[in-house]
Amino acid sequence: MTKQEIIQKLTSIVKPYIQNEEGFKNISENTDFINDLEINSANLVDIILDVEDEFKIHIDNDSMEKMMSVKETVAIIQAKMNA
Amino acid sequence: MPKIGNDIVDLNFAKTQSNWERSGFLEKQFTIKEQQEICNSENPFLKVWQFWSMKEAAYKCYTQKEEKRFFAPQKFECTLKENHFGNVIFEDYKFYTKTTITSFYIHTVAENLFIKNSNKIRKFSGIGSPNLIDNNIKLKIAEKTGISFLEIEKKKTKIGAPLFNYQEKVLTKSCSISHHGNYGAFAFTL
Repeated sequence: MTKQEIIQKLTSIVKPYIQNEEGFKNISENTDFINDLEINSANLVDIILDVEDEFKIHIDNDSMEKMMSVKETVAIIQAKMNA
Repeated sequence: MPKIGNDIVDLNFAKTQSNWERSGFLEKQFTIKEQQEICNSENPFLKVWQFWSMKEAAYKCYTQKEEKRFFAPQKFECTLKENHFGNVIFEDYKFYTKTTITSFYIHTVAENLFIKNSNKIRKFSGIGSPNLIDNNIKLKIAEKTGISFLEIEKKKTKIGAPLFNYQEKVLTKSCSISHHGNYGAFAFTL
């Protein structure tokens, strides 16, 4: 799966949780879930669980700790899919 | 230096926006001990969100001291004492929490040291409408310091924690803002 495809899937995953439409329109690798999309921290775990289901991977606690931006999340998904 | 953090959970919003019974939800965020306490509770839903608000308030307190961001709710372990007082342990840190529970919301304030109001430090917290929170804080600061409301400016630290300034001077020794659903809440010290 290419990085673009991963970002595309991730974009649909985060969509239900975003509270900043402007930030979502401009979503890119540098987007931060909380600062740019205003996703409530109570929904971060939902994103992580959705990512696990969508990409059929297991996200351990150390990886989860870093999943606050598109870039970090894509890197973790890539690493897990290639493992 | 004493720091203060807070977190609000809108209970109706939590019911519609999150599903705590979803597979993996508890396992990823709560320790085994907390999961057992949740499952044995008369009202697991409330316990989930009380623990969550304690963890989040402690995290917001911690990140004002150590400026880094991460998502590791399981590393913050909650213990409840009487009357909704509690502790949260994270690594070598201990936080003291006080939670308020109503039928509409759960609000927790966490401190890394017991903060007693004194001449040196005064603490404030409140709950309101999410888009009025900044103004509520400014009004409170204006009332307590005599500085004009209009001259109090909100800034953010590099990790996004709020500060309130007057002519480049930081007024809040510690400050935390939270939003969830129809509620906003704050806790700060002067």
